[in-house]
Amino acid sequence: MVSKESCRNEIRAAIRQLSDRCLYSAAKWAGEQLVGIEQDPSNFTPSNTRFQRGSSSIRRRFSTNESISTPQPSVGFSQAATPLPEEDETIDGDLYLLAKSYFDCREYRRASHVLRDQTSKKSVFLHFYALYLAGEKRKEEEMIELEGPLGKSNAINRELVSLERDLSALRRTGAIDSFGLYLYGVVLKEKGNETLAIASLVESVNSYPWNWSAWSELQSLCTSIETLDRLNLNNHWMKDFFLGYAYQELRMHTESLAKYDYLQGIFSFSNYIQAQTAKAQYSLREFDQVEIMFEELLRNDPYRVEDMDLYSNVLYAKEACAALSYLAHKVFLTDKYRPESCCIIGNYYSLKGQHEKAVMYFRRALKLNKKYLSAWTLMGHEYVEMKNTPAAIDAYRRAVDINPSDYRAWYGLGQAYEMMGMPFYALHYFRKSIFFLPNDSRLWIAMAKCYQTEQLYMLEEAIKCYKRAVNCTDTEGIALNQLAKLHQKLGRNEEAAYYFEKDLERMDAEGLEGPNMFEALVFLATHFKNHKKFEEAEVYCTRLLDYSGPEKEKAKSLLRGIRMAQTGFPSMDLEHFPI
Amino acid sequence: MAGLTRTAGAFAVTPHKISVCILLQIYAPSAQMSLPFPFSSVSQHNRLGLYLLSLTKSCDDIFEPKLEELINQLRDVGEEMDAWLTDHLTNRFSSLASPDDLLNFFNDMRGILGSPDSGVVQDDQIILDPNSNLGMFVRRCILAFNLLSFEGVCHLFSSIEDYCKEAHSSSAQFDGSNNDLESLTHYDQMDMEIYAIDKATEELELQKNASGSVPFHLHTPEAIFKVIEGITSGLRVSPKESSRTRKKITEATLVSSASSSTVEDTLVDESLFLRTNLQIQGFLMEQADAIETHRSSSSFSSSSIESFLEQLQNLAPELHRVHFLRYLNKLHSDDYFAALDNLLRYFDYSAGTEGFDLVAPSADCSMYGRYEIGLLCLGMMHFRFGHPNLALEVLTEAVRVSQQLSNDTCLAYTLAAMSNLLSEMGIASASSVLGSSYSPVTSTASSLSVQQRVYILLKESLRRADSLKLRRLVASNHLAMAKFELMHVQRPLLSFGPKASMRHKTCPVSVCKEIRLGAHLISDFSSESSTMTVDGSLSSAWLKDLQKPWGPPVVSQDSGSRKSSTFFKLCDHSVSIPGSVSQLIGASYLLRATSWEFYGSAPMARMNTLVYATLFGDSSSSSDAELAYLKLIQHLALYKGHKDAFAALKIAEEKFLTVSKSKILLLKLQLLHERALHCGNLKLAQRMCNELGGLASTAMGVDMELKVEASLREARILLAAKQYSQAANVGHSLFCTCHKFNLQIEKASVLLLLAEIHKKSGNSVLGLPYALASISFCQSFNLDLLRASATLTLAELWLGLGSNHAKRALDLLHGAFPMILGHGGLELRARAYIFEANCYLSDPSFSVSTDSDTVLDSLRQASDELESLEYHELAAEASYLMAMVYDKLGRVEEREEAASLFKKHIIALENPQDVEQNMA
Repeated sequence: MVSKESCRNEIRAAIRQLSDRCLYSAAKWAGEQLVGIEQDPSNFTPSNTRFQRGSSSIRRRFSTNESISTPQPSVGFSQAATPLPEEDETIDGDLYLLAKSYFDCREYRRASHVLRDQTSKKSVFLHFYALYLAGEKRKEEEMIELEGPLGKSNAINRELVSLERDLSALRRTGAIDSFGLYLYGVVLKEKGNETLAIASLVESVNSYPWNWSAWSELQSLCTSIETLDRLNLNNHWMKDFFLGYAYQELRMHTESLAKYDYLQGIFSFSNYIQAQTAKAQYSLREFDQVEIMFEELLRNDPYRVEDMDLYSNVLYAKEACAALSYLAHKVFLTDKYRPESCCIIGNYYSLKGQHEKAVMYFRRALKLNKKYLSAWTLMGHEYVEMKNTPAAIDAYRRAVDINPSDYRAWYGLGQAYEMMGMPFYALHYFRKSIFFLPNDSRLWIAMAKCYQTEQLYMLEEAIKCYKRAVNCTDTEGIALNQLAKLHQKLGRNEEAAYYFEKDLERMDAEGLEGPNMFEALVFLATHFKNHKKFEEAEVYCTRLLDYSGPEKEKAKSLLRGIRMAQTGFPSMDLEHFPI
Repeated sequence: MAGLTRTAGAFAVTPHKISVCILLQIYAPSAQMSLPFPFSSVSQHNRLGLYLLSLTKSCDDIFEPKLEELINQLRDVGEEMDAWLTDHLTNRFSSLASPDDLLNFFNDMRGILGSPDSGVVQDDQIILDPNSNLGMFVRRCILAFNLLSFEGVCHLFSSIEDYCKEAHSSSAQFDGSNNDLESLTHYDQMDMEIYAIDKATEELELQKNASGSVPFHLHTPEAIFKVIEGITSGLRVSPKESSRTRKKITEATLVSSASSSTVEDTLVDESLFLRTNLQIQGFLMEQADAIETHRSSSSFSSSSIESFLEQLQNLAPELHRVHFLRYLNKLHSDDYFAALDNLLRYFDYSAGTEGFDLVAPSADCSMYGRYEIGLLCLGMMHFRFGHPNLALEVLTEAVRVSQQLSNDTCLAYTLAAMSNLLSEMGIASASSVLGSSYSPVTSTASSLSVQQRVYILLKESLRRADSLKLRRLVASNHLAMAKFELMHVQRPLLSFGPKASMRHKTCPVSVCKEIRLGAHLISDFSSESSTMTVDGSLSSAWLKDLQKPWGPPVVSQDSGSRKSSTFFKLCDHSVSIPGSVSQLIGASYLLRATSWEFYGSAPMARMNTLVYATLFGDSSSSSDAELAYLKLIQHLALYKGHKDAFAALKIAEEKFLTVSKSKILLLKLQLLHERALHCGNLKLAQRMCNELGGLASTAMGVDMELKVEASLREARILLAAKQYSQAANVGHSLFCTCHKFNLQIEKASVLLLLAEIHKKSGNSVLGLPYALASISFCQSFNLDLLRASATLTLAELWLGLGSNHAKRALDLLHGAFPMILGHGGLELRARAYIFEANCYLSDPSFSVSTDSDTVLDSLRQASDELESLEYHELAAEASYLMAMVYDKLGRVEEREEAASLFKKHIIALENPQDVEQNMA
């Protein structure tokens, strides 16, 4: 276990170094982790205590069930300490100071120009970094200027070539530092040279682990578990953050949760960790828990916009209109031109059934970020509601092309095609979605329904799907009932009885009643009676008698039949002879 | 989704268009002198005018010439004043120093247009009429420029800089790109030592990359790069006639590299300027054609096309047709998963509304999209990949959906595809598939046989296609119908009770009718203004035509002209017959050949095949071409002997190496079997026959016809081995099979075989009814050649009954002689000659000494033909007879000769080893 104190010192120094190099988002991230470390008793300030006390009561409610019980993964495991690099100059040059202020005013090209002949490492990095950002800015502008009738233009960052050449020259002479390596990795990645980019980034994080931006670039290159395993990374607590994140993106949610649990030992109050944990839990469909976590997060950090779209999804799933509108309002006031904010508002309108407005806000979100995956999928859902299937299909397909493992979009595609009366075509998409999430009963049920449509009528396949759904613990209980009915339809009464019994057990356990219950009871009673198992039949009949309606009459007649059969008289005679 | 409609037909100003404008300024300066300065004669002036006209026509082409190419062309056009023209052009460009100059330039351009209402035109005055082609071009340029925002002007300005710069440095470009590649490969190995390249090329690379183009071959190894170079230049040269053989490809490469039009260049072009939709659509159409016609040639690599398409997709993500092209490409390279993926992606994005010419763009359907076309394509894809059951399910769904959306066009196509599927699948497997299907169309006819279903589907499809005026579909349906009529025997529809006539028949007239109807397409097509003409490709053809008379052609013009006739050459340019149409017409010729083959006229079949091979060989799909080769080889085997046939087969095998070899393999087995049988190598024959039988039952299902053929051949082997009773058993069971599966036509040949067996076993009385039955079958099915050979067998049987029937046998033979000699193969003819001699010899009234020539002529003829056929058994018989006759005549020398020939054949028959060696 790393000591909290050393962590704190490392981060403090790192923040300073990162902001000296204008790597602001990495510095921001580090700052969040810094205050996430449990209270330093030496500088106790009243504001800090208030901040921490606010969360502790809620934490207690949840920390009992898991985090303590799991054994700490690396107790006694000595992490290799990476020494903090010394700054190469204690006094910053005048030109550096000027350039930094230009940079802070977003005049990147000017900043880069000022530093063109500087030799200190910090200045050299800032020179290249500013050049890179200048190129990026120009690229964004050109993209809009050049947008042709066929969509995207070929705008690229025109500085990449010279940057690559200069940085590789630096690297060859060994004059490059870890920040330069990070920038080099980014440039290589944009040029499409992924293996080299990974190598460069790994080198960067091994020599300077506190740069979260480098870690996230590295994560975006690890598209499979194999690449992740192949990375040769030094042990450092930052590596755990990275692994947690990477596991999550690779849909290994339990592994990711374990990592975050471990990290929470040190960074007990980190908002970041809490949000990530909530994300993982969301993927595991623990909505109640996620909601509480987000509530707490908002209480600690009321103006947070990141990850709030996920919270809105939870609220949407729970149909909490008021809470959702409150969230939307709050985020709207904080920063209305964030894709997350637009997405939240879109979710709100969707919940209210105003689909046109919802689409408008999702569109806005996509305008802000074209690769915003969930907005595409959600927009597809809206179009489905609006019965505009081609548009829905288009939206889903874009989501799938951004991230091929997005099972929701695959599922949406299948649904859309099924709606259009093309069940056979839809099957392919359902299969795809199930491939990415094989243990979700809803997907299996959707596929089974597709097989069941009158156009296909492939009942055997439907039965197979329902069986899979039952194995995946179908919470809504559709599968058992359908299985029973299908078997009944195919004349396999033994199987049908088996599934009706199971369904009945389930309904009893959950305390449900309804037409399904009557159906099961009536079938079972008749079935057992036909098979001369009168005792069982009687049990089911008496259960039916508890309810009013036609079922009761049916039960009565069944009972009568059973009695007659038991007494051995042929029932026909009794009908004819009045007693 | 709306990628197409947003700015269809946009016209963007590019540097190339500006150079055309500059030339126009020279052509018609605003000063309006009688003849502008540099021109010395009116004809010179007119020549430039024509050249400019062709340039403006071709500006919708996707590839715009580079400045250097333009200058080269100018050199051809301008003759002595070319230096002045080029100088002026480059000077004009270099005088454009700031965006403001561009603005002024276009203001000047306005001046060269004559005012629309200047009625008085003096004789010699040169005025650019604003409504002429050139005037319109200028107006469009000015308009497009005026629409540009300042940013747009800036971009135009910087691209002009690149345009000029490339022209200056084009000589060094090849080295530059190579070095670029080299440095990258080294770079990948992290070998930084060899990074020292000379300064100039590095600089060049920088310029190029900085100019906004992604070098295409960034990560492709050099070998692939070379291949791409060849192909794309091939495409550029002339997609329709682009060369099929390796030799020609290299030729084209040489030419193209001389004119420095490499892939890289075109792609640099690509990324520099935005193209209009029309240009890209036209270009993609050409690519699709190329994928289809090139898939058989081994030099065509699908990976190069794939990477090119990927590039295109990056540049224009809203151009969904690229996905379809990728699907086509994957389909032809047999990559199931990628093909499926791309197909689905295409339809998800475009909803089937983009790029399908068979659909009339009607507004009411756009609400639902055209996903039924997706189903149709998916079905055909499954079929191609050999999943007939899946294909049938999908097509059934396509039928349902198109009925729902009342898309009759798609329905017609789907029905045609379905009938095609059913008829290709073979009979035995189809019946099991149809049993499980719930299709509304097929289930109405659940009691019908597969053939009848095919017929119904075809009729329905034809009816719809006819009413919708889908000419190509109508034509192909007619062809399919002809095929159906050819293969399937009609039965009287009402055959109830004992009195009903059970006569089956075929109807050659209707086959002929259908083929003729199908061939009408071509005349229809040239008269209608087709929707298929692609402006892009047409306009590039314009430029090529224009260049022909002047100087050395820039592109390789005459590489294909030897092969295709002038008529089609003409059509290529003026009417531009799409590949699919000429493919269809070609198919009709092939079908004609098949039907002649069937009805027994080999010369006609050969002629039609040859017509196909010469006229349509270039545009044909590889399977059709394969079939044509097959037919020609078969013909060779029948008429020229096996040696020639095997030589031809070798060529065909090389040519169709990449394609699934099944048809060629089949032919090879058949030929080997026949040859082995002739040489008496029964073991080899048996092996071939077994392999043939193995081919009949594939994973897709059982091909009944092939199976029947295999057992027929087996019976022949047994016959040759003199196992008569076994052969007869096989024959009988074969007849039962044919009857069970309704293979009427095969019945005739089985009956003939049975007759042969009885004849050979010396049981002529038993053979007679079989021969007679076979003849009557042949008569009702119009199988003339088979009938002639059955008649021959009948005559042989009569003779077998005793020499007193020789007269009757001779009469029968003479009746069949015209048919046999006119259309029969070597074997049949030889048999007839020998038999004739036999008849004469056994006729008691015939005397050898007086009439020896009649007999000897026949025998000599027969032995000549048998020699080339290597048919030892019959050849021995002929020599034996010859020797006997000579013996009677007392011509000892000739007798000895014939006898030694007889001995040679007999020995060869008994020792077939040496034959086996060169066959394996």
